[in-house]
Amino acid sequence: MTGFFQYFLGVLDPSAIFGFWRALPELMASAYIPWWLLGVLPVARWFLPDMVCWLVYLVEPAVIRPPLRVHARQAEPLVSVVIAGRNEAASIREAIRASLLCGYRNIEVIFVDDCSDDDTIAIARGAARSLLPHTTERIRIFSSPRRNGKASALNIGIRMARGEFIAIIDGDSAIQYGAMHHWLLPFTDPRVGAVAANLRVRNSTASLVTRLQECEYAFQVTMARLAAARLGLLTIIPGAGGLFRAEILRRLGGYDTGLGDDTDLTIKLRKQGWKLGFSVDAIVWTDVPATLRRLCRQRKRWERNMVKIRLSKHRDMLALGRYGVGNAVVMLDLLIMRITFPWVAAVGLLAFALMDGPLSAPALLIDIYWIYLVWLFVKALISRDIAFTPQPHYFLLLLVYPFYKLGLRAAVMSAELAELLRIGAKHPYVPDHVWQETPWW
Amino acid sequence: MKIATEAVTAENRRIELLRRIADEGGAIAPHPDPQTKHGYEYRGLTEGAERDLQFLTEREYLDARFFDRVSLCPKCQSHHLNVREICPGCRRAQLATEVLLHHFRCGYTGRVSEFASNHSGEGGYTCPKCNRQMRHLGTEYDRFGRTSVCRQCGLSCEDLPVEAVCLACGTRTLADNLTSIDLFAYAITALGRATIRNGALFESDDQMLFVGGLRIYRRRVMIEFLRQEMRRLARFKIGFSLLMEECLGSAADDDHQEHCLSRLCECLRDTDLIGQLNDTLYAVILPQTTLKEAEALRQRIWARLGPQPPLTLTAVEVKEPIEIDQILARGNTRSAPD
Repeated sequence: MTGFFQYFLGVLDPSAIFGFWRALPELMASAYIPWWLLGVLPVARWFLPDMVCWLVYLVEPAVIRPPLRVHARQAEPLVSVVIAGRNEAASIREAIRASLLCGYRNIEVIFVDDCSDDDTIAIARGAARSLLPHTTERIRIFSSPRRNGKASALNIGIRMARGEFIAIIDGDSAIQYGAMHHWLLPFTDPRVGAVAANLRVRNSTASLVTRLQECEYAFQVTMARLAAARLGLLTIIPGAGGLFRAEILRRLGGYDTGLGDDTDLTIKLRKQGWKLGFSVDAIVWTDVPATLRRLCRQRKRWERNMVKIRLSKHRDMLALGRYGVGNAVVMLDLLIMRITFPWVAAVGLLAFALMDGPLSAPALLIDIYWIYLVWLFVKALISRDIAFTPQPHYFLLLLVYPFYKLGLRAAVMSAELAELLRIGAKHPYVPDHVWQETPWW
Repeated sequence: MKIATEAVTAENRRIELLRRIADEGGAIAPHPDPQTKHGYEYRGLTEGAERDLQFLTEREYLDARFFDRVSLCPKCQSHHLNVREICPGCRRAQLATEVLLHHFRCGYTGRVSEFASNHSGEGGYTCPKCNRQMRHLGTEYDRFGRTSVCRQCGLSCEDLPVEAVCLACGTRTLADNLTSIDLFAYAITALGRATIRNGALFESDDQMLFVGGLRIYRRRVMIEFLRQEMRRLARFKIGFSLLMEECLGSAADDDHQEHCLSRLCECLRDTDLIGQLNDTLYAVILPQTTLKEAEALRQRIWARLGPQPPLTLTAVEVKEPIEIDQILARGNTRSAPD
């Protein structure tokens, strides 16, 4: 029992990290394979891009955050904001309001209600009337008579859109004022097919879980996507904030039904050779799950979708080189860093910890905790410097952030396993009649 | 002739109007007439009678019932309007209805014309996205309602704005902005009939309060009393009861009705208030009276009225503040007497 307490108290001792710093030169000079695989590789993958971005930002900020040059007489292409949602009564008004009043004049909003049980449609129509009492062409509302899932609702919206560009956002998201001009900026390059928005957590003050998600979004959405987009390795145009060239969406026939529609569409774009962009200043505020249970459910769904879409539906991407070097790197990253590495690390650490009996190697875990923490603080500072997030008073939360990530990682690993074994693939997000027709990837 | 018309006082004119309505069977309703200003006219009534009708309705000589609403051009007040849906984008009316199909398997949504029809005799369509056959409506594909598409600008929309073009002056107005007037059918009330017999309107203070010839409060006075009781109930938690009395048979049995009402009034206490809610419905407010006491009173009145009186009588207790309309509704749905 005493040993048990000592073990946990040891976690509070930051001096544990000094042992690591002393051993670092020796480790770097060694050919110890586990060190290189489990130590150096993840740092290179998850930390180096941030550091490089930051250094570039310090030297030439315009490379990371291209300046906006809007002239009064500059032609603004029509942008159609498509919002699809079901039972979004609490947030749809704000989503419509923010889209219409985002500071971009040539915009239309299309809301497709996926057969809501609540009064979403009435609220949306009320919002339309109150925001634009004289004309209705800038906002159009459609209601599906039968629930067909989000992808189908989005396809209806895409079908109705007239814009040169189509922005897809969720019913619980809101476009930041002024964001649309930044969002459109990467399209000056004709090779860019879609641009991901910078998703920020709107309800970050709702609970500890949402505060932690703000930190997580700063690292994994803002910084990770910024670096990935610059390297041409962006793998997701999120459903909560993505801007597409309309002709591409129409040519692809919109989203496919089933889960993971945004991942699927992104992979299709990548396969067709379109460049995918990311704009730090195209901020879209979104609500995140406020409870741990709902968060785990969301992340498990995302992970299952990722495995299903990228490893099953688009398994031809595994033929490395077939779709170019970038896609080969993306697939290798997925296989090695996102799937294999967490499992190897988990099994390795467990084996190491149990080598001489349960919890006999606390020093290693404590070292990893403190190293991770230092790494997190540096990442947070970089993210704060470039993207102004997370908020400084959330920095203290980073002390518990490793445990939050550990719990989430355990949840998503179980989801990966379930998807690979095809256990419980059916998800209530997709209605039964659509699920029965959807191909089993 | 003109001088003679001008000599008719407003009161005489109104009594004449009541007589004319009585001659028409006690009720008049507007008849459609496209040549008139508002598209309807009250046959047999002179132009400008609407103001007198309104005056008489406000004072309960007439009972007004909603008949129809007429939309008019806000500029020239003409009812000759061409009302149609328009495209919210280009404001033109060249619209077509379009049916969208949705393929469950791949999620493709498009016009029916985009899906190739199967001509091999099996029916159904072929999806342009995944090239699969769609044979079974409801299990393989679905129709997404009906949307309208503008033939001019191509805009698809579900909720189209409605616009009216005035055929008289050419003004284009959104339907929401049209001027609208309500038309009513009028029926003469017991007070109106009494006025005809009396030859003068009951417009003195006393007559403003009571139904002609009886110490029975008029509807608006009665409703005000009810409101006051509700206020007392809400503030001091003092409940009250109501006796709802509906006369059966035609309104022509005025004498018998009066007889019953006078018997009923004899049984009431000084503090009880009796009033008329409509031609055949009367209510008695019994302040600070429980249902048991009200029921005893009801039995007493019932015994006094003799065998098979032509009315129903129900006691209702009000313990919680409720809307006046609910009380009136209770009166309208009461059960038959014991």
